[in-house]
Amino acid sequence: MAYFVLFLGIGFVLAALAVASNPSPYYGVVGLVFGSIVGCGWLVSLGASFVSLVLFMVYLGGMLVVFVYSVSLAADPFPQAWGDRHVMGYVVGLGLVVGLGLALGGLEIKFGVETIDSVGLFFVRLDFSGVAMLYSCGVGMFLVAGWGLLLTLFVVLELVRGLSRGAIRAV
Amino acid sequence: MPLSHLNFYSAFILSSLGLAFHRAHLISALLCLESMMLSMYIALSIWPIENQTPSPTLMPVLMLAFSACEAGTGLAMLVASTRTHGSDHLHNLNLLQC
Repeated sequence: MAYFVLFLGIGFVLAALAVASNPSPYYGVVGLVFGSIVGCGWLVSLGASFVSLVLFMVYLGGMLVVFVYSVSLAADPFPQAWGDRHVMGYVVGLGLVVGLGLALGGLEIKFGVETIDSVGLFFVRLDFSGVAMLYSCGVGMFLVAGWGLLLTLFVVLELVRGLSRGAIRAV
Repeated sequence: MPLSHLNFYSAFILSSLGLAFHRAHLISALLCLESMMLSMYIALSIWPIENQTPSPTLMPVLMLAFSACEAGTGLAMLVASTRTHGSDHLHNLNLLQC
């Protein structure tokens, strides 16, 4: 059971490898979904369940759904697959980069992270109380983030406006 | 380097290499950018657990909000380039060639 966190961490690296060496954007999105699921599992097994659920709902359920239907707009009708020689060259090459970093940097296997409530010292869990500080101490950044999201809405509407206005359209 | 740090650090390096290499589609580059954001989120979430300090836990949530802005803007540019150039192939974006 102590090796489960290790397994999830290696799964995260394999998902990033799948996204980096994707033969087609369809397989890249599959790698990204797998990476976010494994990342959520990694955070839960370390005890931070709130940030894991935020990642699940906002990233996987919000942003990746938008990416999936944008991939259906933009990708080929007959994609390449994982077994092609060109794609396997990318996979092996990028895997060798990681192996080179591992060989040059060395590795220390450190098991045992402290618990999420400081071995019984806290009343609430660490991540719940930390994110709740967004509304008390971090209210300035909270308002800036909300204003930025509203601004992004208008930016997106202006970029895809089309014929009469917008800077990118040729006609 | 501790093993958990090596995991998200090598995921970040792999995604940035995938962003840097020449690809056919613009959306492959956007997917690699999203993977970089995911590895940064995991890194920012694991760091308060290791240091046992609650207050940096708001940093990954804030980073996710700005990453959503960036993903939306990138996809809007993808849609705009598909409407203008017919597809999102990167070798069609050659108006600035000499």
